[in-house]
Amino acid sequence: MRILLVEDDPDLSRQLKLTLGDAGYAVDHAPDGEEAQFLGETEPYDAVILDLGLPKVDGVSVLERWRRGNVATPVLILTARGAWSDKVAGFDAGADDYLAKPFHTEELLARLRALLRRSAGHAAPSLSCGALRLDPRAARASVNGEPLRLTSLEYRLLHYMMMHQGRVIGRTELVEHLYDQDFDRDSNTIEVFIGRLRKKLGADRIETVRGLGYRLAPLPGEEAA
Amino acid sequence: MLDLRRRSLVRRLVLIAGIWTLLVVLIAGVFLTAQFRSAAIRRFDQSLAVLTDDLYAGSTVEDGQLRAPVLTDIRATRAYSGRYWVILDKSPEGAMRPVERSRSLFDSDLMLSSKQIDRLDAAPGQTQYFNMRGPQDKPLRAAAILARLPGYADPVVFLAAEDRTPIDADADRFAGVTAIALTILAGGLVLATVVQVRFGLTPLFRLRREVAAVRRGKAERVDGVYPEELEPLAVELNALLAHNQEVVERQRTHVGNLAHALKTPLSVMLTEASQQPGQLAEVVERQAQTMREQVDHHLRRARAAARSQTSGERTPVEPILDELAVTLERIFQDKGVEIDWRCPEDLCFQGEKQDFMELAGNVMENAGKWCKGRIRAEAAPSGEARMLLTVDDDGPGLPPEERAQALKRGQRLDENAPGSGLGLSIVDELTRAYGGSVLLGESPMGGLRVRLDLPRAET
Repeated sequence: MRILLVEDDPDLSRQLKLTLGDAGYAVDHAPDGEEAQFLGETEPYDAVILDLGLPKVDGVSVLERWRRGNVATPVLILTARGAWSDKVAGFDAGADDYLAKPFHTEELLARLRALLRRSAGHAAPSLSCGALRLDPRAARASVNGEPLRLTSLEYRLLHYMMMHQGRVIGRTELVEHLYDQDFDRDSNTIEVFIGRLRKKLGADRIETVRGLGYRLAPLPGEEAA
Repeated sequence: MLDLRRRSLVRRLVLIAGIWTLLVVLIAGVFLTAQFRSAAIRRFDQSLAVLTDDLYAGSTVEDGQLRAPVLTDIRATRAYSGRYWVILDKSPEGAMRPVERSRSLFDSDLMLSSKQIDRLDAAPGQTQYFNMRGPQDKPLRAAAILARLPGYADPVVFLAAEDRTPIDADADRFAGVTAIALTILAGGLVLATVVQVRFGLTPLFRLRREVAAVRRGKAERVDGVYPEELEPLAVELNALLAHNQEVVERQRTHVGNLAHALKTPLSVMLTEASQQPGQLAEVVERQAQTMREQVDHHLRRARAAARSQTSGERTPVEPILDELAVTLERIFQDKGVEIDWRCPEDLCFQGEKQDFMELAGNVMENAGKWCKGRIRAEAAPSGEARMLLTVDDDGPGLPPEERAQALKRGQRLDENAPGSGLGLSIVDELTRAYGGSVLLGESPMGGLRVRLDLPRAET
């Protein structure tokens, strides 16, 4: 397993290189954002440990550039900035996990193992509906290659509708597939989730069929899968 | 006496206008009344002079005896009618002796004082006017002339007098009416000044209200349109607010930078210690943990200080819950946590976005740590300018006796739980800073229910 460690503090870098080496990883080290970006784009790493406060180019920018350049390597952010606004920004930029300093070495190793386990075994058949794509293995969806930020309930609803695209699906059917148990089936649950999906996907992809339910269909001019 | 500089502007302006109006009106009143009185007396004197002239011209001397003319004025014949005349003989010794008199005088006489006689002596042949007392002690106005008649030895004084009560009454009535009219005028003027000042100073009062709104955090700057005299003040105020904000922001950044700069060395210490197990490692670990808590604590303090300067912010809740739900599901990906959240789209938290994220993030993360797989978060308006954020999980929950403990700083309920265990104490601290409260309870889903009572921004 090859890991890229992006960290500007020399002591922490040395320690992490040792620790990661002991754990059986091959570690490359980049002390600044520019070098990190270059290495991440050119070398096939299995995972990246990324500090956010970096010289030259900051970590979030590096991550955004990678993701825009289709570098899909799983990234664990390791940073002193532990506020929720920083975490959300990190995940928005495309991070896969986030660990705030100071941390315990064991926790870092555990997170790294989980990250690598998750990323293993991609290549699953993806669903598509026009410009909308859904990757069931990674549980990610995108429109025109732009990743969508969905919660698991929203994702589950979209997944079901994509599997049955073109068909009108009733509310009861949707709510039964949204919740595995009979939990909170208030009358407007589905409206709430359809509303959120429309906000994220664009308003016209989900059609309301009055009295019957909803239908997901490609936009006019897009090709159905 | 109050310091004059502290006096209200309104009162000051009204007071000046009032004093000035009073002075002018008083002078005008005195002047008018005097004018009226002298005009009335002049008219009165003229009619008296006619009578003395008639007496003077009509008197004849027969055999050394003086005869008054027959006068047709009926008022001079009725007793004490108010109109009198008398012709006096002035002997060389100066004694005055009435020679002829009007019938109205009945049994009394009109006597001249020596001063009045002197005045007559000084100007013989010219009519002189006096005030004197007559029968029944009535005030009289008199006209007299000292003249010599051919064929009569002594100089003679012709004197006509009339009760002056009517003109005095007229003058008094006029003074009364004038006083009333002028009082109304003065009152009107002062009232006009009050209205003028109030209206004129309205922008000033508006500015004061706006500044108060800024201080209470209802507005971030002074936005109104002001007259050119106040506009510079409003501009300066805004500049001051902006400067203040900037200073606070800078301090906050400094504290933030310091706090974050300390965290990397702490990581180094922790890692180094963990590689050489033993007593030293334990001490380092414990101390590093304390340092971290201190750093976090002061970081929050700095943020809270900055917050008190700018509480006018409003933060829409829905997008934050969405972002946090997506992020947290990602964080707890391995566990497979499902976050079901509800929030009205127009709900706004009265406060900073970062703070709300910190609150909701920590509560939801705590739920994520303990849940078996499901979290439910609901934000809803409650009551006057308040909102509730309720987070439920399906984990083991907390027994009532441990709930209070969970909110205390630095308490870790389970040393094995990932993360610092500080989450809920941070939430408690922040919620209090916003004048809210944290309530821990039992969730219908089986686990812990955390309910935050927070300020809501009016829509």
